[in-house]
Amino acid sequence: MIATSLPRRTALRLLQRASLALALLAPAPLLAAESAAVTSPRVTATLLSSRDAVAPGERFQVALTQKLAPGWHSYWQNPGDSGEATRIEWTLPEGVSAGAIQWPAPKAIRVEPLVNFGFEDNVLLPVEITVPASAKPGETLTLSAKATWLVCEKICIPEEGAFALDLPIAATGAIDTAAQAQIDQAIAALPKPAGFTAKLTAKGEDKLALTLPGLPAGASNVRFFPILDTLIEHAAAQPVDNGALTLTRSTAFKVGAPTTDGVLTFDDNGTRRALALSAEVEPALLLAAAAPAQVPAKVTLPPPPAEDLTLLLALAFAFAGGLILNLMPCVLPVLFIKALGFAQVAQASRSEVRQQGLFFLAGVLATFFVLASLVIALGAGWGFQLQSPPLVILLAVLMTLIGFNLIGAFEIGGRLQGVGDGLASRSGPVGAFMTGALAVVVATPCTAPFMGAAMGYALTQPPAAALSIFMALALGFAAPVVALSFAPGLLRLLPKPGRWMIVLKQAFAFPMFATAIWLIWVATMQAGADGALAALVAILVAGFALWLIGVTRGSGRALRAVAAAAALLLVGAASAFVIESATPSAQPTAQAGTDAPGVWSPARVAELQAQGKPVFVNFTAAWCITCLANDRVALSRQEVKEAFAKLGVAYLKADWTNRDPVIAATLTEYGRAGVPLYLFYPGTKGAQAEVLPQLLTPETVVSAAQRAAGKEVKTATAQ
Amino acid sequence: MTDVTRQSFIAGLTAIALSLGSGAAFAQSAAKPGAKAPDFSVVDVDGKLQKLSDYAGKTVILEWTNHDCPYVRKHYNSATMQTLQKDMAKDGIVWLSVISSPVGEQGHVDAAKAKELTKTRDAAPASILLDPKSQLARAYGAQTTPHMYIIDPKGTLAYAGAIDDKPSSSASSLTGAKSYVRQAVAELKAGKAVSEPATKAYGCVVKYAPVS
Repeated sequence: MIATSLPRRTALRLLQRASLALALLAPAPLLAAESAAVTSPRVTATLLSSRDAVAPGERFQVALTQKLAPGWHSYWQNPGDSGEATRIEWTLPEGVSAGAIQWPAPKAIRVEPLVNFGFEDNVLLPVEITVPASAKPGETLTLSAKATWLVCEKICIPEEGAFALDLPIAATGAIDTAAQAQIDQAIAALPKPAGFTAKLTAKGEDKLALTLPGLPAGASNVRFFPILDTLIEHAAAQPVDNGALTLTRSTAFKVGAPTTDGVLTFDDNGTRRALALSAEVEPALLLAAAAPAQVPAKVTLPPPPAEDLTLLLALAFAFAGGLILNLMPCVLPVLFIKALGFAQVAQASRSEVRQQGLFFLAGVLATFFVLASLVIALGAGWGFQLQSPPLVILLAVLMTLIGFNLIGAFEIGGRLQGVGDGLASRSGPVGAFMTGALAVVVATPCTAPFMGAAMGYALTQPPAAALSIFMALALGFAAPVVALSFAPGLLRLLPKPGRWMIVLKQAFAFPMFATAIWLIWVATMQAGADGALAALVAILVAGFALWLIGVTRGSGRALRAVAAAAALLLVGAASAFVIESATPSAQPTAQAGTDAPGVWSPARVAELQAQGKPVFVNFTAAWCITCLANDRVALSRQEVKEAFAKLGVAYLKADWTNRDPVIAATLTEYGRAGVPLYLFYPGTKGAQAEVLPQLLTPETVVSAAQRAAGKEVKTATAQ
Repeated sequence: MTDVTRQSFIAGLTAIALSLGSGAAFAQSAAKPGAKAPDFSVVDVDGKLQKLSDYAGKTVILEWTNHDCPYVRKHYNSATMQTLQKDMAKDGIVWLSVISSPVGEQGHVDAAKAKELTKTRDAAPASILLDPKSQLARAYGAQTTPHMYIIDPKGTLAYAGAIDDKPSSSASSLTGAKSYVRQAVAELKAGKAVSEPATKAYGCVVKYAPVS
């Protein structure tokens, strides 16, 4: 056996030599465990490998070595008061991976009165490489790295180097003993896991206490190096007392995570030790970081409520918003009639009124629950109900019929009233429940200005919190009617039932007709002329069907059945027609014209920003009344147009009249559940947008435009 | 004026009380955002005495600089620093560049050289303060070049820290960088609180003169 193995070994050596000779002849880099050095008068850097040859599936260590000239230093991952950490970017064959730099414990290098964290003399930055099991023996593994580092004495020079190592892949790896020893030594000197958790707590206004339960009793010369560069004043003394270090808070103090890491160095019985430390951060410090310490120079506007809502505040906002919804032109008539109904029933039975109040509440809550569940589950965004043309048309029909009922057109037979406005005015618990549902359905388009913030907040919350916000809105919405039902005494404040009730009821028909007109317009914006036709046909058919039923009311059974069947057939046919014809049109609804806004897309914004143009984006929808009001009072005003023209602002419109997942995603990103949303992007590539308030004035838009353009239109008033 | 004096008196007392309370020595008094900015009286390149109190009612920006520092060069070679200076000037903001390198250290220049640098680089500071004894740097706790400070019209330090969010000396890092200075100035103009009043400055170390 020995006899045969010897020649084989010799053959192998010969082969190795031959390949070495070949490699020398070829222009390719040497097969070696250390890359060619990158040198400057300050640094000699190489990439060192612990293996001469690597085996498939194995992990091994390489290291970036830096030999620094006397007086010069390179930097740790947190460079301290100035400087920049060394970085390595790898280019590796497929399947090969490189770990992060395993940072040695840094030295505190004083640059009075400041301090840098880094390395002097010789430093090895080890990195673990993983070879895939699929690597093929006989082939070569090429590790390419581009490293950048800053080297400073007092002056600083940024340097970089490209390193390449070609390692043969063999069935069994070959260790480079010298390199391995060097890297092993570096790894042995890395900070060891501390084995205990430190605690970071506030100590007075500008100090921190780092409690170190595992610090040896005799430790001296203790120093904590945080990885986070906004934690402490690096140059401040760190007195140790009773196993706790006193640190000075950074003037840029900011901690974003509940634990923060660092390295602790100290002398223990004459040996320098380094521990990798993880510290739990006192929750109050996380909050402290968030609070801006700044006192504003001039306070002009209260901060918009949208920014930082707590759940409780959001609930309060939602409740108040619900109350306000009662006053909306489309809702008030429905509720008022309900209240009048109470007044009439109240004479008969107080308990019945209370019961109706509670059923109304149940109707409101149930409908909100269904809508809210849909919004949360689908992530659809508030107002999505109005993105479907058939639904918009259904609402238009409903509004028209309620209007005709209010005006008295359906009060032909005594009992017909119940059919005339759907189930809403039917007396009894079912009627009360349906009134609640109807009121919610007709109220949905009016929510934006008051509930935008609360709803945006709601959608960023876990489902339970989101649902509770919607329920608070529902409670606020139902509150006035429920209160009335429990205090019928209030109703007695009204004049005695009489002719005034009929007049008022008729007058309330007109807001309903107005709402219907608006909805038909929305349907037209969504589906074009076909949408208008579908809406009007639907209203015609609904009216005719009701008339058929009403006119045959007193007739025989057979005739009534025929009329009901005909009405049903007509309604069915009309529904099919509506669904068929009222499909969202592909045409953008923006009017053509020279200064008409462009069509929004995230790519378009990026493109315009790259051209140096500030970009204004108007997220709007035809069914959003707030949006239209803002268009009228601010965006289409001459001074705004002039400012846009002067500052070279690109105006883009994101139209959410019909469904659009990209717009919906963008709204969510900015914490909004629906439109309007106004964004002003500065004309710098990648710069963040400023969010404008939901209610615009020409001044807010113009000043935002100036900020985005970074200049004033008129001469700046001297500060 | 009496009001200002009283304020600084109270601020001084508070500072003393705080440092006594926490048992710290007066090591390094870095100026803190939200507090009164340290007043100064420093000779500029025209031999004029520049006082912070002269600019009461105006926003003042201090830029620590060292023309040979690679991080400073990144901002000047790309003209981003000059553009920022000009934009701020248009807003009526007073931009003061500060050179704190002592004689014999990198970045140290005399008045003539400083003016020449302004001319050749097409820079637009309102003035350049010469601080070869690093006293102004000590008062503000300046650590790096560049290190930026914004003082609001009331004399409160509104911002201290980096010029942008890309701590690198490579020119490519300028693309997509967020300017903390522009952000803070825009917020001040809008009457809002500065959302990020303090950030970690990056760059070359400020070359301090030994305490004499």
